[in-house]
Amino acid sequence: MEPNWAAEHLQVIRTLMERSAVYRRALAPMMLLTGLVGLAAASLGWGLGIDSPRSFIRYWLGISLVPLIGCFLLVRWQALRDGEAFWSPPTRRVAQAVLPAAVAALVVNLGILVQLGPGGASAASHFAHKTVLGWLPTGWVILYGCAIHAAGFFMPRGIKLFGWVFVVGGCALFLLGLPDSPGPLFAHGVMGFFFGGLHLAYGIYLYFTEKRKQAA
Amino acid sequence: MNPEPFLQLDRVIHEKGRLPIVSLLAASPELAFTEIRDTLSMTDGNLSMHLRTLQEAGYVALTKSFQNRKPLTTCALTAAGRAAFANYINLLEEIVRQAKKV
Repeated sequence: MEPNWAAEHLQVIRTLMERSAVYRRALAPMMLLTGLVGLAAASLGWGLGIDSPRSFIRYWLGISLVPLIGCFLLVRWQALRDGEAFWSPPTRRVAQAVLPAAVAALVVNLGILVQLGPGGASAASHFAHKTVLGWLPTGWVILYGCAIHAAGFFMPRGIKLFGWVFVVGGCALFLLGLPDSPGPLFAHGVMGFFFGGLHLAYGIYLYFTEKRKQAA
Repeated sequence: MNPEPFLQLDRVIHEKGRLPIVSLLAASPELAFTEIRDTLSMTDGNLSMHLRTLQEAGYVALTKSFQNRKPLTTCALTAAGRAAFANYINLLEEIVRQAKKV
């Protein structure tokens, strides 16, 4: 009796169970793309002087579509390349996990945009500035962390920790105290640090660790 | 090498077509018939045949419903199926351990 067959069977079982339960597609490229877009958008937003509450929300809502579409195309490309279904069970689970926080963020943004009105006195008030340029980016960071952490139950282990970094980082900003008059540097800085820098760093880490795993 | 663990392997699970099905189901609460078929690149007939065998052994439960007016068959491991799969894994690990000793 060939003894290796049992080990090979166990390996096949492990692979199939992972395929069934864990999302593994294009994580490093997605993180790198999101990080680069985040850093570039933060620099551009600051450079262009996007500092009114309305323009800040609209700018970042628009920017968020870039990594969203980019990640969709990356995942679709990888699924086609590997001959797998795009809307696989793990992809569906991750989407379902992310959805509540994403919907909450979108509704809050649209609600604030409606509240601010078309750019009158309410949009220029100190309260509007503090809410949008101080609290809103911090809230986005926390909601995003919750979404990532929820998705982490169906992804490799490190993702949950990554989600916690956002949640803890966002909460720390609240606890340490937001500036009384947050300017565009603070608002775009928070966005650039969390959505740019952290994604880029994690993407680089994933790129090298995944490469090492493939080589092993 | 002691052939005992090999002889104890559950023949319903220890089959080229059925082991991948059980492995997929073990990692999910339930899966649609089409998801299993697409993941394993099996034909409808082949998958149906294996699922029937697993169902007759009491390892898999099939649920038929409708989604958007289309029939939907979902498959899930029963408690007996999970226990049998766990036992199968234990026996495989035992065989691997014995092979390492030799």
